[in-house]
Order: sequence, then structure tokens, then C-alpha cells
Amino acid sequence: MKSTLLTLTLACVALLVGCDKSDTPAPAATNGHLTIGVAFETLQTEYWVAGFEAIRADLKQRGDTMLEAVSDSDANRQLEQVKNLITRKVDGIILVPKDAKTCLPMIKAANAANIPVVLFNRPADKSDARSVAIVADNLALTRETVGYLVAEARKAGKKVKAAVLLGDLGDINAVGRRDGFDAAVKGQEDIIDVVARIPTEWNQEKAQAGVVNALQANPDIGLIFSSSDFLFPSIVSALKSVGKYHKTGEPGHVLLGGFDGDATAYQMLKDGYLDATGVQDVYFEAAQSMQAILDLRAGKTVPEVIRDPGFVIHRGNLAEKSAQMWGARVAAKK
Amino acid sequence: MTALVRRALLSDYFVLGLCVLYAAVVVPFTPSFLSVGNGTNILSTLFPLLIVALGQMAVLITGGIDLSATAVIGLTSIVGAMAINDETGWLAGSPLATPSGVVIMLAIGAAVGMFNGLAVARSGMPPFMVTFASMTGFSGLAVWLTHSKAINALPSAFVVLGGRTGVAFGIALAVAGFAHLMLSRSLLGRWLYAVGHNPRAALISGVPVSGVVVSAYVVSGFLAALAAVLYTGQAETGSPVLGQRIFLDIIGATVIGGTSLSGGKGKVLWTVFGVLFLKLVDNSMNLLNLSIFTITMAKGAVILLAACLDSARARLGTP
Amino acid sequence: MIPALQFDGIEKRFGNVPVLRSVSFQLGAGRTLGLVGENGAGKSTLMNILGGNLAPDAGQIFLHGAPHAPAHPTDAARAGVAFIHQELNLFTNLSIAENLFLTAFPRMGGVLIRRREMLDRAAALLELVGLAADPGAPVERLTPGERQLVEIARALGSDARLIIFDEPTTSLSAREMNALFSLMAKLRARGLAMIYISHILEHVHQLCDDLVVLRDGVVAGQGGVNDFTASRLVSLMVGREVDQLYPRRTSPPTDEPILEVHGVCEPGIVRDISFTLHRGEVLGISGLMGAGRSELARILFGLDPHAEGEVRLNGGSLLGASPRCHIKRGLAFLTEDRRHEGLCLNASIADNLALVSLPHYARPPLGLLDLRRWREAIRGIREAVRLSPQARDTQPVKTLSGGNQQKVVLAKWLLARPAVLILDEPTRGVDVGAKQELYRIILDLADQGTGILVISSEIEELIGICDRIIVMNRGTLCAEFLRPEFDREKLLAAALLKDPSA
Repeated sequence: MKSTLLTLTLACVALLVGCDKSDTPAPAATNGHLTIGVAFETLQTEYWVAGFEAIRADLKQRGDTMLEAVSDSDANRQLEQVKNLITRKVDGIILVPKDAKTCLPMIKAANAANIPVVLFNRPADKSDARSVAIVADNLALTRETVGYLVAEARKAGKKVKAAVLLGDLGDINAVGRRDGFDAAVKGQEDIIDVVARIPTEWNQEKAQAGVVNALQANPDIGLIFSSSDFLFPSIVSALKSVGKYHKTGEPGHVLLGGFDGDATAYQMLKDGYLDATGVQDVYFEAAQSMQAILDLRAGKTVPEVIRDPGFVIHRGNLAEKSAQMWGARVAAKK
Repeated sequence: MTALVRRALLSDYFVLGLCVLYAAVVVPFTPSFLSVGNGTNILSTLFPLLIVALGQMAVLITGGIDLSATAVIGLTSIVGAMAINDETGWLAGSPLATPSGVVIMLAIGAAVGMFNGLAVARSGMPPFMVTFASMTGFSGLAVWLTHSKAINALPSAFVVLGGRTGVAFGIALAVAGFAHLMLSRSLLGRWLYAVGHNPRAALISGVPVSGVVVSAYVVSGFLAALAAVLYTGQAETGSPVLGQRIFLDIIGATVIGGTSLSGGKGKVLWTVFGVLFLKLVDNSMNLLNLSIFTITMAKGAVILLAACLDSARARLGTP
Repeated sequence: MIPALQFDGIEKRFGNVPVLRSVSFQLGAGRTLGLVGENGAGKSTLMNILGGNLAPDAGQIFLHGAPHAPAHPTDAARAGVAFIHQELNLFTNLSIAENLFLTAFPRMGGVLIRRREMLDRAAALLELVGLAADPGAPVERLTPGERQLVEIARALGSDARLIIFDEPTTSLSAREMNALFSLMAKLRARGLAMIYISHILEHVHQLCDDLVVLRDGVVAGQGGVNDFTASRLVSLMVGREVDQLYPRRTSPPTDEPILEVHGVCEPGIVRDISFTLHRGEVLGISGLMGAGRSELARILFGLDPHAEGEVRLNGGSLLGASPRCHIKRGLAFLTEDRRHEGLCLNASIADNLALVSLPHYARPPLGLLDLRRWREAIRGIREAVRLSPQARDTQPVKTLSGGNQQKVVLAKWLLARPAVLILDEPTRGVDVGAKQELYRIILDLADQGTGILVISSEIEELIGICDRIIVMNRGTLCAEFLRPEFDREKLLAAALLKDPSA
């Protein structure tokens, strides 16, 4: 038994050490290449994985080294990890913070060590901590996406009842998308009648229950916009349960629009169920993040917020734009 | 050889030895592991974890488990921040904001602990179920209070409490020292072990079993709240989800140290070494640039190993 | 004639400690052999070797003439060796029949259980062992004695040719014990070989043909059962002359009441119990299992509730208080279940010894313990009860023998200096040598003025140490005997009386 134990111990140590021999971190760059710390709060949704991979690919192309750290939704752990990156003298940090506030001590620590920080797709609160945020223009992109749906409705020439699924309104992205929706339907009351505003708090069960309730109250809902694509499975199942899930052009089709551009949305677009979704251009965001770090290192002035305009993808431009849609690449990998 | 292995396994310093061995193995791969900056970094997150793990140990010694420790951290963090932040706090700007904030947080922690303890002692429900329910309830309450929003703009005196590693060190040292004294030398300490070994025999021998159980949960809640003070100060933000993910670390550290999940066993020194070992593993794997998935799996393996060691020790201890 | 079982030069060491040294003896076919010896004499080790739990370092076993070297308990079972233990090995949530055929269900096509056949065969086996119970009933409804019969039925059902009874009477009532003994006689008549292990020497004499005495891993004596008088047997086991199992009192009991019980009632448990215990008196409570003796003790100590009645200790009422208050006022209670209620088995000897009296050594404000006084007290009490000097204070108490464990339980109560000591089966599972020492401690306490209430199923023991014996029968007190009137038959008759009110 004792020898088994010893073997176990050794095996474990070997496992820990042997896991990654090749990737031992290089110290700070010497030959022009940089070492960039990439600290993500979570990798539990496709979107963040896509962003993570986009950054990895971008860095690889440039010949830079990436040090990764994922904090599993724990703010204190993320602080420790960022400090870790600072200790290892990285040349820049790309950060997806847990929230807009807990990241401030991290940014301050990096500021003190003179390391530029770029916040990827999640801005920080206003403070004296200096950072650059790359964010999708939620409002503009949502307005454009919903605008496409409104135009489609107008083409059909019949007034439609509409439902919108709202995100967690503590999340600045969710607020932007709500405002974008409101801006798009404003002045279109002759063709769009918003009958349901469903709070989801980014929760699939709540989304499903909300859609089911809305369809019960208004069986003739003809347009649904979801503040995020990841809620589509819930919406589809609610629609199917009342027999209202049809392709575009078929009688009884409900106009569907979303935001993000994930793999589910791509598949639904391809199959003809989804009409449009606003795509965050993670490749643009990844490239801009790195560019911002380079600019900051070069002492250039960089705006505090860099907007990713994104693009609306719909049946009309699917073939042309799908290469740029991250969800399409994820779908292709599957 | 056998005798040597046996002595090593049964020694109080076994896990410390593992720490040294582990560090020696890892250093060649990550030179920055031993740097001063990294050392402070490890320590700054080690202290709050140690404090909450010591509370958990008190409950484990009685043969219970406190799943609500992480909920207490989130709840006290957000309530504390609501009370004392400079913008909307009830005590905003008051010179007493920081001390009162700390007192409020500790009182809430102790109250949650009291609730758990009474429920366990009086209802006879399994501690797992009681604290699982209160974990769910209190973390829900924490999120509901601000609708999941975090609060910053905390008074600078409060931020110093958790933010300065030296202060955290002082607090952790005091807590660990006091806990050691109480566990090894006091009536309550001996009673905790007795209840964990055999509550029935303890009751018949005149041990106030219910009171002992309640005090263990109160200690756990109180120390989780104290850890929340440090965590909140570090993050300079009160957040209802602070510490939500550290339960594995808390249990892992205590079990690695040698505290038994079946009660009756546990020492402060063991938990200190357990926390140290867990933090070393965690930190070094970060430095080795391993992915989060690998790190989580490796941590799981380490905790499993600790459980194996525990049963091996139990067998060795009784020839 | 080929012996049923033969041990030939069995040796076993644990580390450097020899546990069995050249043990050789045989058991004739169809005979019953009594195996006696103190705890630690090597009986369990020898039986573990026979049962395949341990391998001998040297020596051989022959079973019906064939070499027997089981590598695993299932090998031994397959060879027809069955064990009936004091701790029963039944699955209480399963039915009797399922327990009987757990390893060999009658099956159809290898998978499905033939329920009808199983029940029929189970019924036949139960009839053989004389148990009138439905084979489909769950085991949890059976009394300990009935469960033991199920175990025996299981052994017979698996065609056992040698049955070892290891302390089988520990948890049986007198009636169940008699049933067991007559079944054993029946099995012997059928030609089954049996080994009977017990501390109760009169049973050994009653049941066995031959005797083997083990002491310190050596066969200290063997022969026909009639070659051994009781005193010779005890001397062989202990290794010295034990002049008197029951020591003499030095001072007589007083007539100063210390514990007064008036009309204690709890529906379904005890009815109208009244008696008085005096300072320096040893009062025995006799009766059958289930007569309410242990239940009464638990009520007196505040562990269980009672509906009516009053209990006064030293004149003060003890009504409804917790065990903690009872202890503070000078009551002590050694329960019958040493392992579950008496000791923290995994905790150290010192921690167990200190448990009751711990508050005496705590100092305000933090309740820190005065370790110096604590250690002194522990050293003192260890000497007083003559706890094995080899045992270290830090050693887990479960590593001690039964006798030493019981000394620890007794010692922990003595440290609290009780005025009244309630003892429930104080010598259960304790060997002869330790028994004598326990009696001496108990009687010394009585000599110093402690009131002692002792419950025992061994009538001999009560007759040996008590000043007075009261008998309980179905929840009531039905008889009282003073020392000069002690008589085995009368005590039994009172306990067995059909209508206790008559």
C-alpha cells in the first residue's frame, strides 16, 4: 500500500509538471516579439471561447507569446492572476473582467507597473484607472438589425405584434441593446406593435417561460427580437410548442432577430428560420486590442473606448459575410 | 524505509514537506515562482482563504459541513459595501464607516452561522442539506439586494484592510493563533472533537452537544465574513458573487491538510499547510501557462490524492 | 476417525509481536469444542486464519483430513466453514429469505430469482433452526436472538460442516439463549462439528465436549470438558491463581438514602417504579432482556423522557434535567453499548478519560484547560483502574482490549467523583481477569460511600457483588432480595413470572 501511495504521489507530481513542457513562458520579449497576458473571466460560453481563440490566432500571427489565465468567474482569483501577469513582466494585458468594478484594482496595479491594459468587450466603470476598452456598438448594431426586421415586416405590408427579450439590465451591453431596439421601433408604430418585453436576466429558463407566456397572451406575435443569440434554443422550443416555428417565406413565419452571431444563429440563418442577427466582429476586436497595446506602448494617444461597429447578417448577405461571422467558424469546426 | 514513510505520513508537517517538494520540482520550469512579487501575490490570496478554511475546519471537526461559507462571503461583501460606500452608503463619509462596516459584516456572518447551527442542532437534518439550503437562500438574497450589481467607492481605510498584504497577514496570524489555542487547549476545542468523534457518547458524558454544534457554525460564519472583509478590500468592490467559486478551494485546502470529512480530526497547522499547498499548486500552474481546464482537473487530482492520504493515515494510525 | 479440524503448529506474528506460537489441537468429528482465553490470547487471530482473513506464518490446517489454506473468506465459506459472530452480518432491510440466499439465490436462466423456490427452501431452514417467522419478513423486525437463528440457518443452508460460534449470547435474552443452546444440541446430534467461543464459563461447561485454553498465543491446556473445574479454567486463562472472582466488601452499606425513585412511569416502557439506593450500597437490577432495565436507567439519567414520577438525588429533584445537569449533581452512567455510547473509539485514551470531568480543568474567560492538573488526574486514574501500562495516552482507545476499554469508560466517570454510579452490563465482552479487576473497583467505590446501581444479565455476577437485588419483569418491579436470600432459582423465577402483579 505504501509503495502504491508513493507511486501515486510521484505520478501526480509528474502529471502536474509534465502537462505542458513546450509552453513554458518566455520572459519578457527581447527580439521584438511581445509577451501578452490574456486574462478572461470565463470560457463557459461560445462567444468568449471564440474571442479567446481570435486573440490567440492574432498573437500567433504576429509572433507574440500569449500567457493565459482564466479566473472561473472569481474576481479575487482574477486579481491574483493579473498580479501574476504583472510579476512576469508581460508587455500588455488583454482583460475580460468579471464586472465593471472589480477590475479597477487590477487596472490600477497594471498602471503602476506601466503595463497597458485593454478591456475586451466589457468596459470598466469610470475611475482614475487608465485602460482602453474595445466594445461592440450595441446600440447602433441592434438598431440596424431590428431595422432590417422592420423593413421585412413592412414588405409584407401587415401590422405585426412584436416581442423583445431583454438581457440582465445590470449589464451595460444589455442596456445598449434594449436602447437600440427601442430606437429602431420608434416612429414605426404603424407597422410594429410591441406587446411583450420579456426580462431574461440572461437566463434560458426565464426566456423560455417568458416567450411561452407572451405567446399565450398574444398568439399572433409575428416578430421576436432576442438580445442575445444564446437564448434562441429557448425561443425555438417555445415556438415549436405552439406550432409557430416556420421558415422565412412560409405562412405563419415569425420574424426572428438576434445579437452576437453564434453558431446556433448561423445554423438557423442557413436553414432559413432566422432573419437577421447583429454580429460582433471578434476578429476586428482581437486585432484592435493588440493594436491598442502597440499604440499605447509607442506612446500614442488611444481613445478610452474603441467601438466595434459589427455588421448585420441576413439572408441577403449570408454568403458574402459568413467568413467574418465567428459563429460560422465555430459551426464549421463542429 | 517503511517506518520512515509511516513517520512522514503521520507527521504534522507532512503537507509542509509536500509543499517544499512540490516547489522544488516546479521551480526549474517557472523561475518567477520564487520571486518576491509572486510570493506576495500568493500570500495576499492565501490569507483570506486560510481564514475561511479555518472556520470550515471547525465545522468539519464536529462531523458537519458548511456549504454556506461562500454565500456568507458574497452576502456580507455586498451588505458591507451598501453600508459604507462613499456614494450611496448609509454611513457614507462617516469616520466610523470602516469599523462599523466591519462589525456589520461580522455580525451578519455570525448570524447566518447561528441560523445554520440551530437548524442542524435542533432539527436533526443533515448539515449538508441545511447549509445547502442556506447557501442557496443567502446567495439569492445577496444577488437580490442590488440586482446583481457590484458596489465600489469604498472608503480607503477599508480598502487598506484587505488590500495591504501586511494587514491581511496580521489578521490571519491572529486568527490562526487564537484558533490553535482554542482548539488544542480549551474546553470548547476538546468538546468540538468529542462531538465529531461520537455525538452520542459526548451527550451522555455531559457535553452540551447542541451548543457545541451551534458554536462551530457561528465560528464558520464569522470567519467567512472576516475573509469577506479581506476579499472585498482586495477587490475594492462589494459584490454579491464574491467568493462564489471558492468552495472547492476551501474544502480542498482543509482536506489536503488532513482534516477528516467524517469528523473528529483537524488541526490549525494542518489547514495552514493545506491552504499553502493548494495555493502553490494553483499559482504555479498559472505560471506554467496551463489552461483553466487543466488546472481544475489537476486540483481535483490533488484533492483526491489528499483523500487517499487521509485514509492511508487512518489505517497507519491504527495498526 | 478423521478429525473435523486439525491445527498443526500454527504461528503468527504481527510485526515483532508473536500472537500465536505453535498452536496445535484438533476437533473430533461431530464434537463441540470450547475455545476459551482472555482477550488478546489469540482466539480471534486463530479464527481469522481459519476463516481466510489472515494467512499463518507457519503451520497447517486440515479440514476433514484435507489441507485448508483459504486465501479469502469466500474460500473458507466454500470449504464449509461458517462463523456466527457477536456482531451480526445480516442486511436488515432485506427479507429473511434474501439474507439466507444472498450469495446463492436459486436462479432461473442464471439471472432471475426463483422466488417461490427461495421462500420454500427458506421456510424449511427456519423450521430446522426452530424460528417461527415468515421467510418474506424483513430482518429488521427480528430480535437479536432471532437474527442469530437466521445466521445459523444461513450457515446450514450453505452446507456448512463446521460452525464457529463467537460470543453468540452477548445480545440474547435468557429465553433466546436457551433456544440457541437446544438448537446447538440438536446440531451436535446431527453430527455437526462446532467451536464455541465464550467468556461465560458455565455455558462452555454446559455445551462442550472438549476444551482448549489459549493464553498469550499458546495452548495452555486442552482436554475433555470434565477435566476442568471452574477455578482451574480461570487459573489457566489468567496464568495465575485467581483466588476469588468476586472480591469482599470491607465496609457494609449504610442506610442513608442517596437516590430515591418514586413512582416513575412511562407508558409502554416502565410502570410505577419506586426504590431507594443507599450510600455505599450495591443494588442489582435483574430481569430478562426487554424487562425495561436499561430503559429505566436511561430515564434516571435524563436521556429518555418519563411521564410521571420523581427522582431525587441527595434530596434534590432531578426531574426532566439533561444528562449534563445530572452529571453536575453527581450521577454517572456507564451504558451497555460501550462502542456507540461509551467511547469515542477513534479518540485517544486521554481524551476519552477526560471527557466527563473536562469542565473541572477549564479556567475562565476562554475556558483554557489547566493541562498540568489534567495530566495528573489522568495519570492518577489510570493507576487507580490499573489500565494496561503499555497503552500510551495518545493511542486511539479502539486499539485497547474490551476489558481495558471498559476500564477507560469506568475511569472517565470516576474522574467526576460521582455520588451515584449506574452500571449497565459493566462486564459485557470482558475477559475473566479484567472482570475481577472491574468488580474490585466497583466494590472499592461502594466502600467509599458511592451508591451503585448495577444492571446485569449474568445472575452469578449480581449474586457475587450486590448487597440487594431487585427484579424487573415487563416494566415493573416484582421482587426484592437481600443478600442472605440470594438464590439463582428464585431470581430466575421472579424474572420469568407470567403475571408480575400476582
